[in-house]
Amino acid sequence: MSSPKRIGRFFCFLAALLAFAVAASTQTLKLPPHEKVVLKNGLTLLVMEKHGVPIVSFSAIVKTGSAADPAGQEGLATITAGLLRKGTQKRTAQQFASDLDFIGGSFDSGASDDYTSISAEFLTKDLDRGLDLFSDAVLHANFPQTEVDKLLAQSIDGVKASKDEAEAVIFNYYGGYLYGTHPYARPEGGDELSLKRIQRDGISKFYEANYVPANTILAVAGEFNAAELKKKLETTFGAWPAKPAPVANIPTATPVKGKRLLLVDKPDASQTYFAFGNVGVSATDSDRVAIRVVNTAFGGTFASLLNTALRIESGYTYGASSFFQPQKAAGPFAIYSFTKNETTVPAIDLALKVLDDFRKNGITAAQLDTAKKYMKGQFPPRIETSGQLAARIASNEFYGLDDNEINQLEARIDAVTVESAKQIIEKHFPKDNLVFVLIGKASEIGPAVKKYAEKEDERKISEPGFWPPAK
Amino acid sequence: MKTIKNSLLMAGLVCAFGLSGGAANAQNEAQQFPVATKTLKNGMKVLVQSDHSIPNVALYIFYRIGSRNEHPGTTGLSHFFEHMMFNGAKKYGPGELDKVMEANGGENNAYTNQNLTVYQDWFPRSALPLIFDIEADRIQYLQFDPKKIASEREVVASERRLRTDNDNGGLLDEQLWATAYIAHPYQWPVVGWMSDIERWTMDDLKHHFEMGYSPNNATMVVVGDVTSDEIFQLCEKYIEPIPTHAPPPPVTTVEPEQLGERRLVVHKPAELPLLMIGYHIPKTNDPDFYALNILRTVLFQGESSRMYQRLVDKDQIALGVLSEVQPGFDPTLAIITAQPKQGVDPATCEKEIYEELNKATASLISDQELEKAKNIRLVEFYHQMRTINGRANTIGTYEIYFGDYTRLFDAAKNYSAVTKEDVQRVAAKYFGPNNRTVATLLPENEGKAKQ
Repeated sequence: MSSPKRIGRFFCFLAALLAFAVAASTQTLKLPPHEKVVLKNGLTLLVMEKHGVPIVSFSAIVKTGSAADPAGQEGLATITAGLLRKGTQKRTAQQFASDLDFIGGSFDSGASDDYTSISAEFLTKDLDRGLDLFSDAVLHANFPQTEVDKLLAQSIDGVKASKDEAEAVIFNYYGGYLYGTHPYARPEGGDELSLKRIQRDGISKFYEANYVPANTILAVAGEFNAAELKKKLETTFGAWPAKPAPVANIPTATPVKGKRLLLVDKPDASQTYFAFGNVGVSATDSDRVAIRVVNTAFGGTFASLLNTALRIESGYTYGASSFFQPQKAAGPFAIYSFTKNETTVPAIDLALKVLDDFRKNGITAAQLDTAKKYMKGQFPPRIETSGQLAARIASNEFYGLDDNEINQLEARIDAVTVESAKQIIEKHFPKDNLVFVLIGKASEIGPAVKKYAEKEDERKISEPGFWPPAK
Repeated sequence: MKTIKNSLLMAGLVCAFGLSGGAANAQNEAQQFPVATKTLKNGMKVLVQSDHSIPNVALYIFYRIGSRNEHPGTTGLSHFFEHMMFNGAKKYGPGELDKVMEANGGENNAYTNQNLTVYQDWFPRSALPLIFDIEADRIQYLQFDPKKIASEREVVASERRLRTDNDNGGLLDEQLWATAYIAHPYQWPVVGWMSDIERWTMDDLKHHFEMGYSPNNATMVVVGDVTSDEIFQLCEKYIEPIPTHAPPPPVTTVEPEQLGERRLVVHKPAELPLLMIGYHIPKTNDPDFYALNILRTVLFQGESSRMYQRLVDKDQIALGVLSEVQPGFDPTLAIITAQPKQGVDPATCEKEIYEELNKATASLISDQELEKAKNIRLVEFYHQMRTINGRANTIGTYEIYFGDYTRLFDAAKNYSAVTKEDVQRVAAKYFGPNNRTVATLLPENEGKAKQ
């Protein structure tokens, strides 16, 4: 019972974050065979038969995300994605919903920093109807004004509702404070003021410019005959008119120098939520697998060093963890936890000590072995379903990673040694350059947390936007 | 969060009731997965389903003890106990369970609800004997170290702050149950009242362990890269020797019929108000289960549902509206949650929800709606069946709440049999004003202004 009804579920800005939970490893596990075809109009098609359950999973990536939102109109990519099902040339939003629900289909769309993703699942027996719905949304969305107005109004309130729950917004503040003027600073879903500036015309233009075949990857996995499906896809998606792809331009992200702290005041908080770290690595960084192994030991599991210190041994928190989110440019690294107001300083001190000790002592052979076995043991269920597989091959294609990303994962994990881990820690787990974001009751914790940084900023959670303050 | 275990409740179990509708298909699908069963000499029932598609195993142990077996003063003890089950036994001391499991590629979690405490292990098949050794160790020889208890108390308090005190939905939900029930133990929160979390004693813990953790009070489900023979052999070696003791005394209190609407208000600082309405409905294993799910699907599921169309799309007074049912050995609640838009009085949402409920009572749903709802149930069935974890959870859910896992195979037939008249009947029977509890959270300033 008492399933806390997270109203934030309605507008899940944290969804992208949860994707980090997909750590990795394999156990002589290989990707099922799949085929890549580039259609004449430039669309990249990936097709994988995966038998067992009569479901077909579609996963499309439009290679433009919220990092391309115009300044001041943060949320444009997210809103555009959200409107795909809200009216097409042949269906109203209501008709789309009726047709989709009648066959028990699912349809999700959203934008992260790097790209827009659109996914859908249908029973194999409904494949033709499902394909018609999916392609209708991607190819023929026409953004009726009433639907634009509705979604924008809902999204603005969604941002406000999410601020009632510190956990749902802490990484919006963290991303903003960490990335400053880099586009990764922008809140993917926009904020209370930026959403008000978005207009139908801008949405249409964004769609026309970015939703083009040469800028799109479409992966389909599940129970079907690949040859037959390819023909169907060539008919529907092959008819998509060719247009030049937009130029993706995500600048390099570099780590912040020195120490900075943002305190977001939530006067009713009985618990402080904190995240600290710096800019991490890109999805193609040559250290990426080694970093995952090392982070698994540091803050990636229940028995990790961080959770052992902050939860198991001290009882400061229900959970402490760390993650790297590799992206096109260097994505964030963060240590994250929460604790009651009174233990805010001891908990942050302890997290810093764990980090410091990690840098000093490195990783033991036993810890390294555990991290490797854990990653390898827990990987197979992450590519178990057609939906997981379609999403995985689409994102690998987007980042330019080949099948060895999975097929060689075990070997790459095994290649990490105690010595190489030491270098990884030295290079990727910062000590002197750290950005802190705290959400909590400023009147209780404010004075004490100043010690963590040379520069401190403060704002109220009720103020519009995240960081920098919305204008 | 990935590294956080011991969640109060996995959403999966709540959703586990979305079972199939479309007759023969679902039955055939279910029959592709034969389940082997065995009852050990000490009374524990074991269910095994082999699936070699990935080299992994999902192992669930369901203990029939939850917050319904607690009393004022010790609320939250089942959940706290769940945490203690990770804090050391005889062979695997404090902190060792997770270390050893991870070192062998395994991961675990657990959850507690009103009825059950459930332990979950996910691991590569190579870790198979180890997992049995660990589970047998903690069932028999749990340690009660006062230092660990003190620190775990803080962890649980932090969990409570996370999920309830600093979460508007969690807070309002707790108040709703506390108001909808006046006699039955479903009235207190699974996590426990803060004053109980702070005060329960070593004796309370020991008593709880003796009461709940007997093999004859537990059911094990194993799905994945295993054979039933090897699982039964491991059970004989590790589990069967564990002695049996008396299970928890039956919960005899019956919640009296609600005779009129109950209302409560929570004032707190918040950006947006929140509305929750709870209706008493029968226990999970009731013939009306299927018709209720069809009704809820028509009203709440998907953007074509009646409530979404009315409140979110047409009148634009809510950001979202949903319904949830917690499984129960005893009569439980169907809860409707609406997130009003800013500036919208929750009473406006309330009024429209009642109007839609009244329509479902006054006239039959359409053929198309009925067929849609059955299709949605069918797809949900496949979604649960597509992973070894989903299957372990679903098999266990049917075995525990319906008393027999084979009821899983009847679900399709049972949904298929639901008629429009059944749907109308359950709407009228359960969703009337006298049977409801209405909980409203008002942002503090707004609330004061209205008074």
